[in-house]
Amino acid sequence: MSDAAVVQLELAARTDNVAVVRQAVVAAAEALSADAAVVADMKLAVTEACTNVILHAYVEPGGPIEVELLALDRGLTIVVRDHGVGMSPRPPRLAPANGSGLGLGLPLMAAIAEDFEVHGVPGGGTEVRMTFDLERSAVTATAEGSAS
Amino acid sequence: MLARMQQSTIALLRDDPTAIVIELAGEHDIHTAPELRERVADALSQGLPLVVDLTPATFIDSSILGVLIGAHRRLHEAGLGFAVCAGSAEEPGVRRILEVTGLIPVLPVLPDRAAALAFARVAPEPS
Repeated sequence: MSDAAVVQLELAARTDNVAVVRQAVVAAAEALSADAAVVADMKLAVTEACTNVILHAYVEPGGPIEVELLALDRGLTIVVRDHGVGMSPRPPRLAPANGSGLGLGLPLMAAIAEDFEVHGVPGGGTEVRMTFDLERSAVTATAEGSAS
Repeated sequence: MLARMQQSTIALLRDDPTAIVIELAGEHDIHTAPELRERVADALSQGLPLVVDLTPATFIDSSILGVLIGAHRRLHEAGLGFAVCAGSAEEPGVRRILEVTGLIPVLPVLPDRAAALAFARVAPEPS
């Protein structure tokens, strides 16, 4: 089955929009009857992805965050894309005031998603693509150590 | 869908004269991390042990973890106790990130407020 976009969002990269994206993911995941534990992981992953955009992508605040939610047969792919400066090692502007400084975002996303990819965007920017199974297997994939 | 967004609050509680409790309810992320950092600074200025109660919280991200780890460090440097309590709610939005990152023993995280207060009242050993 080809990916079908169930939700497409474009919002300004502002901290108050992270909850909006999170709620959109919850609505889509619940519409697909995802397990509650999987929904929680999706919320965390998309929050970390959007936070990375806010902290790292744009020198000037408020550039766009593009979010696509793609329904699969038994899963959901979450795409978070920006058109900023790419994966800079330190945030250009906001990190001292708002950032965690832990560097946990990418390891967290990689640990909790079934599949995790980071790509450059032609013309500048970064795309994070995370896929989740809708059902959590009995043997839950904990990732202690992967993110530390 | 947006109607389901919950009210997120950060309250600094002074019910106990021997410690300060900061209680987080609802969802917390990079948007509320600066407010939590301010409340931690307020608590630190009081010179009392600090407990951050995440039991009413339904979601936290790494921005909040960063504030908690910073609070732990600053309280320790000031010779003051610090603990987090996360309860045992079925809501996985708090417990999950603590488990995945392996930070439960580091912060430390206790199962209820009474245990967290008892832990925090014991001043840390100088490092």
